[in-house]
Amino acid sequence: MRSLFRISQVAIGEWAGAIRSRRALVLLLLYLVAAVACMYGTISIFSRMETELVQLLQLPESETTGVVSKTLWKSKPFQNMTRAAIGNDLVFNDIKGRHPVELVYAWFVFLCAPLLVVLVAGNRVADDLRSGAVRYAIVRCTRTEWSLGKYFGQALMLACGLAASAAGAWIVALCRLADAGPLLPAMFDWGARAWLYSLAWLGVALGISHLTRTGSRATALGIFAVAALSALPNVLGWNASWFDLPWLTNFDLLSPSSVKSLLWRQSLAPLAEAAFRLATLGLLFLSVGSAAFCRRDA
Amino acid sequence: MIGVALSTQGLVKRYGRRHALDGFTLAVPQGAVMGLVGPNGAGKTTWMMSVAGYLRLTSGAVDILGAGPFNAAVHSGRLSILPQDSELPLEATPSDLLYRYARLQGLSPERARSSVDASLAEMNLADRVHSSIRSLSHGMRKRVMLAQCFLGAPEVVLLDEPLNGLDPVEQDRMRRFILARRGRQTIVISSHNLNDVEVLCTHVAFVDKGKVARMATVQALTQEAGRVEYLLDNAAADIRPALTAACEAALPGARFTWHEAADARASLVCVYDERAGTVAQVNKTLLPLLLAKADVLSIATGLSLEQAYLKTSVPECPV
Repeated sequence: MRSLFRISQVAIGEWAGAIRSRRALVLLLLYLVAAVACMYGTISIFSRMETELVQLLQLPESETTGVVSKTLWKSKPFQNMTRAAIGNDLVFNDIKGRHPVELVYAWFVFLCAPLLVVLVAGNRVADDLRSGAVRYAIVRCTRTEWSLGKYFGQALMLACGLAASAAGAWIVALCRLADAGPLLPAMFDWGARAWLYSLAWLGVALGISHLTRTGSRATALGIFAVAALSALPNVLGWNASWFDLPWLTNFDLLSPSSVKSLLWRQSLAPLAEAAFRLATLGLLFLSVGSAAFCRRDA
Repeated sequence: MIGVALSTQGLVKRYGRRHALDGFTLAVPQGAVMGLVGPNGAGKTTWMMSVAGYLRLTSGAVDILGAGPFNAAVHSGRLSILPQDSELPLEATPSDLLYRYARLQGLSPERARSSVDASLAEMNLADRVHSSIRSLSHGMRKRVMLAQCFLGAPEVVLLDEPLNGLDPVEQDRMRRFILARRGRQTIVISSHNLNDVEVLCTHVAFVDKGKVARMATVQALTQEAGRVEYLLDNAAADIRPALTAACEAALPGARFTWHEAADARASLVCVYDERAGTVAQVNKTLLPLLLAKADVLSIATGLSLEQAYLKTSVPECPV
């Protein structure tokens, strides 16, 4: 219990420090601007496409954007195309009834989450190690408690960032689409799923941050890790199951495309499994960094 | 019987081939204010960092308050440290930061708040509690660092150069603050200012090359029996041989040495056999002789801590 209390105190401190230093504000703005830009751009493309389609097919013109896209999305040939692109029937069946705009937001937020996490949280531990600020804390709590507190404090910040991005995306949709009103819960739903996904990457970013005393180096190493752990398997066309080590397939979850097989499902069981595996993965990466920190001079 | 609050036995800390600590053995009695004195790189800071659990020791044993080496789960709130070269989180305010530290070390919200308020008031920071650390001057930041050391009155406090960076008024306030804690908390101070150590500390350890060269009470080190020092004015060099000869004749067996002092003054040090007489008797014998030839400005018995240190560290240095 004492340990949990100390972890919560470090997390609150991390949170309070972020608010005061405007780091939280930067995070919120980063997520918000990215989501707004993505939604605005996507809806503009939809709008142009629809105008051209209407002209090409000589259909009656619609007053609002999205009606044609929604109709197109529901069409059999387009759905077959999407099914092939997703490559997972279970996921496809779960999302086929959803609004295309919310799926665009989901796609965007999953794609950007790793990089945003690394950019925002990558230097948090390394900076404290460099300045020596960590010394005032670890004389009052264990190093492991401090690391976990940092993790949970950052996780709380990410939740706020993603909530802001969901709200921003919804507001853009509301301004540009006729039927976007009921999409708000769906946007927050995708934001929450992206938060679960971010937990794993937060572990990666903070784990790396424990290994160096230079914030910028920690961020650079984090960006490299994003490339290595998520992009390279796709680029090179290998996956973890090739190594004949079943547990290694858990690392596939770090890839935005692989994590969809669980996190984009609508039923509770795959979601719970994803939450458990992603949180474990995050804590595993964090514990590697924390273990290295525990063994060295502070 | 006074127990030992903090003991270290044969601490060794190696950085490659260099030994920062090389068998550092020290026992700090409960309630003592222990001064660590030594040249740069002697191992004072390394010892403090090792005791606080920041550094991984190569070998040796540490025991803090009878509960083994530092373990935050056990010693949180019982030991605190003013670490060297460690910045506070710049965005925090002193009030919030110290409250968080107090809560982290297990104080209840009410006790944490009162402890923070008291600490900041004692450090004369009551008017800056809501300013960000970034906006504080170097000296003010140092006072916040000092304030965090005394939150919740920990049993052992380690202070690395506590008065560095403070203005004279704040240095004086801090001296009085530490003196008021003598006997109530065990405090270890690392400092190059021997006058401060002499005033503040009950015990002193001379540290050199990663180990303790000598450890004793300040009283034992400075009140060296059989030594009197007279500060003289108008004792020109040409009268000194005659004066020395007169003194030697009056006090057989005693040794007399001259030292130049500031403002063209000189001091005459008399080292005599303490069994032959008391300081009062020596004064009674020598003062008439000295006053006949010069003006006696002051009489000091024993050694200053600086003299005791130089005597231990640099034996060839005349004190």
